[in-house]
Amino acid sequence: MNTFKWLLKREFWEHKGGFLWLPIIVGALMITLTVISLGIAVSGVKGGMEINGVAVSSFADIVTPEKRAAFASTIVANYTKLTMPIMIAFGICVFFFCLGALHDERKDRSVLFWKSLPVSDTETVLSKVAMAIGVAPLIALAAASVTAIITALLICAAAAIAGVNIFAEVLSDPATYLAPLQLVAMLPIYALWALPAIGWLLMVSAWARSKPLLWAIGVPLLTGALLSWANGMFRFDWNMGWFWKNIVGRLLGSILPGAWFSQQGQGLPGAGDASASAVLGPALSQSWQLLADANIWIGVAAGAAMIYAAIRLRGWREEG
Amino acid sequence: MSAVISAKGLTKRFGKTIAVDNISFEIPAGRIVGLIGPNGSGKTTALKAILGLTPFEGTLSVLGLDPRTQRDELMQQVCFIADVAILPRWLSVGNAVDFVAGVHPKFDRAKAERYLASTKLKPSLKVKEMSKGMVVQLHLALVMAIDAKLLVLDEPTLGLDILYRKQFYQHLLEEYFDENKTIVVTTHQVEEIEHILSDLMFIRDGKIVLSSTMDDVGTRFVEVMVPAEKADAARALKPIDERQVFGKSVMLFDGVPRETLATLGETRTPGIADIFVATMKGTYA
Repeated sequence: MNTFKWLLKREFWEHKGGFLWLPIIVGALMITLTVISLGIAVSGVKGGMEINGVAVSSFADIVTPEKRAAFASTIVANYTKLTMPIMIAFGICVFFFCLGALHDERKDRSVLFWKSLPVSDTETVLSKVAMAIGVAPLIALAAASVTAIITALLICAAAAIAGVNIFAEVLSDPATYLAPLQLVAMLPIYALWALPAIGWLLMVSAWARSKPLLWAIGVPLLTGALLSWANGMFRFDWNMGWFWKNIVGRLLGSILPGAWFSQQGQGLPGAGDASASAVLGPALSQSWQLLADANIWIGVAAGAAMIYAAIRLRGWREEG
Repeated sequence: MSAVISAKGLTKRFGKTIAVDNISFEIPAGRIVGLIGPNGSGKTTALKAILGLTPFEGTLSVLGLDPRTQRDELMQQVCFIADVAILPRWLSVGNAVDFVAGVHPKFDRAKAERYLASTKLKPSLKVKEMSKGMVVQLHLALVMAIDAKLLVLDEPTLGLDILYRKQFYQHLLEEYFDENKTIVVTTHQVEEIEHILSDLMFIRDGKIVLSSTMDDVGTRFVEVMVPAEKADAARALKPIDERQVFGKSVMLFDGVPRETLATLGETRTPGIADIFVATMKGTYA
C-alpha cells in the first residue's frame, strides 16, 4: 500500500500542471470574468446584465422574501453550470493523461528506470487508473466547488451593492453546502462509467509503438465508418446508431464527466428548474439508477479486461 | 546458491534474426564481469533477458528466480542501469530520492544523500536541466544506495566525458562493490574498465566467443614483438593477429606458452582492447 501511495505521488509530480494548476487557473479565470461582468453590471454602464434571468438593474424589484428566496436559490442552482468548464478541462486532461501514461515512458525510455525498481506492472497501471478516476477528479471537484462558492458570494456582494442583501438566504440554503457533496457522490458513477474509456486509452497507450492518439481515435471511428458503409451498401440492416453510441461513444466519450446523462437520453434532469436541490438531487439519483442497468456493468467488465491487457502489454512491450 | 546467473541454451529471435544464439554460461557471486561485444552482437538483448525485460527461449536462472515469471521478486535483489540518461525529464533530485526511498525496501537514503552532497546536484534540480553527466551521477547515487545482490550496467557511461567516466567506475568500485555483490557491465570503452574486471566475456553474433577470468586472460594471451628474421618461425605458431610496427611484426598469441614466445622476441601482456580487436576481426566484413 505504501508503494501505491508513492506511485500516486509520482503521477501527481509528473502531471501537476494538468491536474492541479489547470482547474485552479480555469476557476480563477471564471472568477475574474464574474468580477468584471458584475462590476460592469453594478456600475450601471450597461445595466442589462442578467443573473439567472433577473436583470441586475431590476434588483430593486426583489423585495418580497419569496422573491429573494427564489433568487437566492437560482444562484446556488448555478453550481452545476459553474463546474462545467472545469469538468471539461479535466476530461480533456484525463484523456491525454491515459493516452500518454504507458506510451511516453517507452518513448523517452524512462520505463527502463521505472522497471529497475521493485514495482510490478500491475501496481503501476492501477496507480494510473486510480489517478484518472480518483485523485484527479477529486482535485477538479474541489476547484469547482471553491469557484462556485466564491462566485455565489460575489453575486451576493454585487446584489448587496445594488441594494438587495441576499447573503442570509444563500448562506442558509442547505443546497449551498450540499451541492459539493452531491457532486462527490457522483464520483463513483463517473469512475464506473469512464472505465471502458480509461481501459481503452491505457491499452492503446501500452500497445502503440507510435502515434497513440491516431490509434485510439482512428480504430473506433474507422471501424464505425466501415460498418456504416457496409450496412448501407449491402443493406444488412444493422443498428449503427447502437454501435456509435455504445462502442465508439463508450470507448472515447465516457471519459467526460457527466457523459452518462446524454447516454441516458434525457439530458440533465431539471435543468430548467430553479433550485439547486431540484437539479442536483434528481441528477444524483438518476446517476445512481445507472447501476440497475446492464450497460454500465458491461462497460466496467470491458474496461477491466482492457486494463488487464494494458498490464500484460507493459510487461512485454519493449521500449522505443 | 552457487551461481548468481545461470543460463542454458539462452536464445532470442527477432523474426528471422537470431540476436542471442543458444548461449550457456554461469556467473558466480562476487565477480565483476565485463560483457564485451561489437554493436548488434546481442549483449543488450542478453542483459534484457536476465532482467526480465524481454521474452526468450531456453533456461535462465537469476538468483534462483526465473526472470520471465518472477520479475517482481527479482527486482528486490537486482538493480540496473540500462543505457545512459534515461531518467524522466520532469523528475527532480529530491523527488527521485523520495520515490526510490518510498518503494525500495533496500534503499539507504543517507548513503544516496551523502553521495549527492559531493556533486553539484541540488534537490530542486530537474533532470531536464541537467547535463548528461549529471543525470548519470543522479542515477548512480540512487543505484549505489540500493543494497542489491546483482547490478547490471548496460553502457552506463556512453557519451560522457572522461572525468565523469573515471569518477563513475571509481565510485562503483570504492563505495559499492563488495564480495557479496555481483556486477555485470557492458561498454565499448574496454580499456577503462579492464582494471576493475574479474571476468571477461566476449560476445559475437549472439555467441560467446571467449569466457575467462582476467587472471587466465593474462596467461593465455601474449603479445610478441618479432624481428623480421624470426617472423616465419613465429607465424608457424599461428598468431591470432599480426600487425607491423617500425619494421617489426607484433603478433598476438592465444594459448602458446610465454617461455616459447620469449625466444622469438620481446613479450608483453596485451590489453583487452587488442584481444578484442583480434577476436572480432571481420565482424563487419
